[in-house]
Amino acid sequence: MFLAPEGDEMEIATAAADFLAEAMPIDRLHSSGSADMSAAMRGHLGEMGWFALAVPEASGGSGLSAVEHALFFREVGRQCGPVDVLAQVLAARLPAPDDVHAALLSGEIGVALAVGDGDRTRVIGGTNAAYALNVTPDRTWFARLADAGETRPALDPATSMRLTDGVLVEPVVKTNGPDVWRFGVLGTAAMLVGIAEAALDLIVEYAKVRETFGRKIGAYQAVRHPCADMALRVEAARCQLWYAAAALKEGRDDVDTHLDAAKHLANQAALANADSNIQLHGGIGVTDEHHAHLMLKHAMLLGKLFGGKRAVLARLLHAKAA
Amino acid sequence: MDLIYSDEDRCFRERARTWLSTNVPRGTRPAHGAAAAQFDRDWQRRMYDGGWAGINWPTDYGGLGLSGLQQVIWYEECARAGAPHYINTSYIALMHAGPTVMTRGTEEQKAFHLPRILKGESLWCQGFSEPNAGSDLASLKTRGRVEGDHIVVNGSKMWTTDAKYADYQELLIRTDPTSERHKGLTWLICDMTAPGIDIKPIRTMLMDEHVNLVFYDDVRIPLANVVGEVNQGWSTALSTLSFERGLGFIGDQLELYERVNRAIHLAGKLRLETGKLAIEDDGIAQKLASLKADALAIRAMTLAHITESDRTGQPGPQGSLMKLIVTGTHKALSETVGEMLGWEFLEFDGDRTAHPWTYDYLWSWVFTISGGTSEIQREITADRLLGLPRAR
Repeated sequence: MFLAPEGDEMEIATAAADFLAEAMPIDRLHSSGSADMSAAMRGHLGEMGWFALAVPEASGGSGLSAVEHALFFREVGRQCGPVDVLAQVLAARLPAPDDVHAALLSGEIGVALAVGDGDRTRVIGGTNAAYALNVTPDRTWFARLADAGETRPALDPATSMRLTDGVLVEPVVKTNGPDVWRFGVLGTAAMLVGIAEAALDLIVEYAKVRETFGRKIGAYQAVRHPCADMALRVEAARCQLWYAAAALKEGRDDVDTHLDAAKHLANQAALANADSNIQLHGGIGVTDEHHAHLMLKHAMLLGKLFGGKRAVLARLLHAKAA
Repeated sequence: MDLIYSDEDRCFRERARTWLSTNVPRGTRPAHGAAAAQFDRDWQRRMYDGGWAGINWPTDYGGLGLSGLQQVIWYEECARAGAPHYINTSYIALMHAGPTVMTRGTEEQKAFHLPRILKGESLWCQGFSEPNAGSDLASLKTRGRVEGDHIVVNGSKMWTTDAKYADYQELLIRTDPTSERHKGLTWLICDMTAPGIDIKPIRTMLMDEHVNLVFYDDVRIPLANVVGEVNQGWSTALSTLSFERGLGFIGDQLELYERVNRAIHLAGKLRLETGKLAIEDDGIAQKLASLKADALAIRAMTLAHITESDRTGQPGPQGSLMKLIVTGTHKALSETVGEMLGWEFLEFDGDRTAHPWTYDYLWSWVFTISGGTSEIQREITADRLLGLPRAR
């Protein structure tokens, strides 16, 4: 029993952090047209093996576990990384035809997430993707994108959004079972934890240098106490994330309960911390040039993926944990 | 990262479960008073005789020398077996005074006090806060002057839980009259039967008298009872507080999940003023589900911190976060159940057994204020975990 990254896990986390800070730094989002993974970025991630991290060795992956999956996506979240990274990683878990599978691992083809929105389908991310992935708690469909759909203005600069009909008419792969959903929930929760942490880091750094009324703002209790609350949200969400990741790795019966709790806590932490980070920065916090709004907008998007707040809470209410 | 208990841990759990199944006292613990204190002494003695006292205390001091994780397992099994709650009159002795004497006391103090604590022979109370020194503990004024081989104490202490039933007190006083703040303090073992001690109960909003004012009028305490150095008591007091913020609330942390499930069960039976079952009310259902997630996170935090401190040998700086989330969740839970119970929540005569949820609601302020208020915990977090600049 040990509930924190250790040994090789730490090395993976550090390697991911270093790589992503170069490959998809949050600063990229201050340039226009920075949504989603470009074909070049996708190829780069594929080449470095990041899409194959938790894919079994027999399927050409690195054979690592849900724990490394969570550690990687926490770092993706810190940079407000594109959600197509998650779509790609999840699609790579599917029993797709060999050529498609290989092209997914290498990043040659891209994948968008398709989520139902009333009678229509919203296509999230993957501007230049040929495929889309639609995941529910008990089945996964992977299909060619039939049409480009109608582009919608996306609040989150990290993610494109389209609206379309019947995008998944002829799935290439249909699988039953919760595996893809579980890795999706875990990856989303991990990205949200990353955002919650990044927002806390930003304000703590600023509170140590910014002065008002002749003092650093970090010396005022009106700033210190909300920062402590941010730290608490991070700690709770992060520890539950570790628990859920280990439960998924070990195939525990109550894994879905722990995943839902992790998703809910991470969502709460990311939204509340992004909010506090803007407020405590004052005026500079609402400017476009600052990172603060990027974290809020990306958290708002992630919160709706792999179980929105109400769906997650409804499951949790009657769920049992050992 | 893994959730797998070692064979040793599993074996320990099995033995604990077996012992508890035949040794948990029948009948309920008296709610308060001398009978409750006697009940707690008897239970501690029973655990000692069964070989279960001081699970993570070193073997040199009569403990079992086991890990923090095994201490957690013990509390989990106690909760499962319906054993007496560990926050009782023995709490200060086992969680504060014992560990403080163990790490800062003399060999004589250790040899005398530690076995008595483990056997349930001595109960302790705390003497830190004063009428004018609460959150700002370092402004305390109760003074002691050295006379020969004694310290003569005059002044008063406040919020002392179970002062009437305690045999000893951890007493923090000012021994250097010219000193200010953290300097010039001394941590003393005070014999509660010493002449010159007067105890006045404070009635609280819970309609009980569990806390007291303690007055000292020329109380003579041997110099041999100083723990640490004379005039260096702040350092000893910080050790005491670190035990409270480290492992002090584990049992409560683990129990919260069960309490949330009890509340959800209750929500399936209670009707609200709207005529709906509580569980069918979106507001209540969402709060209860969210509380369940909080309770799971508290358990994960506990396991993360304990397994980490078992490796490093000391508690991390997250103790204050732990106290914030446990007390906050406790309060939110009793508020939510209060909404469900309607009029019944307004029935209360101080009887904890008859009105447990109302009692818990009123207790929630004791929880968020005692042992360092929530505001002080946020200050500690800002200083030690986040490294923010200090105003003080």
